[in-house]
Amino acid sequence: MKIESLKFEGVTFTHEGQDPIVQNVEFDFPMNEILWVKAEEGAGKSSLLQILAGLQIPQSGKYLINGENVCDMSFEEFLPYRLQIGYSFDYGGLINNRSLFDNLMLPLLYHKVISPEEAKARVEGLLKEFGAEKFAHDRPAHVPGRIRKLTCLLRALVMRPQILLLDDPSVGLGQDSIYAFVDHVHRLRKEGHCKHVFISSYDEKFMNLFEYQIIHLDEGQLYFQAVDPEKRVVHL
Amino acid sequence: MTSLLAQIDSLGRFVTKNVEYTVRVFLMVYLSLRAAVLDKAQGFRQIVGVLSAQIYFTGWQALPLISVLALGVGSVMILQSLSNLTLLGGTQMIGSFLIVMILREAGPLLVALVVIARSGTAVASEIGNMRANREIEALESMGINPLSFIVFPRVVGGVLSVLGLAFYFNAIALIGGFLVTRFFQDMSLTFYTDSLMKAFAKEDVLIFFLKNGFSGMIIFVVSCYQGLSVKRSPHEVPQVTTQAVVNSIIFVVIFNLMVSALFYLNQLRSLGVV
Repeated sequence: MKIESLKFEGVTFTHEGQDPIVQNVEFDFPMNEILWVKAEEGAGKSSLLQILAGLQIPQSGKYLINGENVCDMSFEEFLPYRLQIGYSFDYGGLINNRSLFDNLMLPLLYHKVISPEEAKARVEGLLKEFGAEKFAHDRPAHVPGRIRKLTCLLRALVMRPQILLLDDPSVGLGQDSIYAFVDHVHRLRKEGHCKHVFISSYDEKFMNLFEYQIIHLDEGQLYFQAVDPEKRVVHL
Repeated sequence: MTSLLAQIDSLGRFVTKNVEYTVRVFLMVYLSLRAAVLDKAQGFRQIVGVLSAQIYFTGWQALPLISVLALGVGSVMILQSLSNLTLLGGTQMIGSFLIVMILREAGPLLVALVVIARSGTAVASEIGNMRANREIEALESMGINPLSFIVFPRVVGGVLSVLGLAFYFNAIALIGGFLVTRFFQDMSLTFYTDSLMKAFAKEDVLIFFLKNGFSGMIIFVVSCYQGLSVKRSPHEVPQVTTQAVVNSIIFVVIFNLMVSALFYLNQLRSLGVV
């Protein structure tokens, strides 16, 4: 299934007892871009990414993927779209009673997208590429924080989705892992995966490793800001 | 007047809260069954893996504790019933007495209490921690329905474990208990087994499956529900675990009492007493 459009029509989402994250938003998300989601601290960037991932359902309005309203879909109806969305949490999210290897294998084996042998080869290749193979059979609680974060990011990539949603991806990662991760995302994009990337981050240095456009989340509204790659201020 | 209205209001809230709780729990059971059926084309092997782990933790690992408890309860009941029935001259009634006390009443209740203490707490705290650690959201983000992957195998594994443990408890209590009491009482094995076989009726099979099957279901459904009710913070985990234990005990005791009451009312009716 090819994802061609993502659109909000009158979307409102509020956490109980708090100010709205988005309020009556009409927004057509630019496609085939790396989008940097920017907002003030606590404005709801993570919640916005979770809405896009289908993990939070707006209280009103329509979230349309390819013109179909996600808010009306059951878990099973949304599944084909969900398998095209890779989501990485800002913290936590790994299954604690499974090793890092099993965490990465789980979506591949569960959905039988490829054979178990191919899945094993793909996961071993990823762990080797990022120098995490010696932790492969350890559980998340027994590995350093940066390896946990890295595994969470790799799990978002392992299905080679069309939409990649990364919540504060650079926080807690080592510098080498950041460069390896960015290279990997670029390579996947060249191969035709991860076409639509959404990154919530405060790390300008990290973001400057991508050619991004910006979405501002401000007072419950979304604004698009086109960025000319030639005119970007790059701080390295 | 105000006080009466306040009491009615309080009663209304209590009833509404409990009805809502029951509806939510039943809804979770329905959704997890539905999800498991719809999921069979996908991760059925993964679900079976979780189910077998649940049977291992709840059933297999509880065997030593259940053995000790069954031997103790069986021995005490046989000794007490023998000494009292001998005084009354009704030793031949020992089979009926033990079937009623162990198989119908003490067995289901004690096994349920052990499972609540060992596994109900474990399941509630495990799922609560998964919720706090965002593992449930992670499963959803991977397209894995937490109801089929987390709830369904735990409930099915729990029910099978409770049935297995209850069978084991009854066997150890009735056979092991007899062997222990042979040190104190002189009763032949043939007399004992004859008495048990005469007392055993087909209703006992029904009661066994009804009480133990539903107790298992109540324990694991309530524990899963309480675990999933954690919002975000790990500090909620001990609270939901305690609540899971309290609710499980209340529901299991009430259910056991209802089954016993209905069974004995039916017996009295068939005897023409009521």
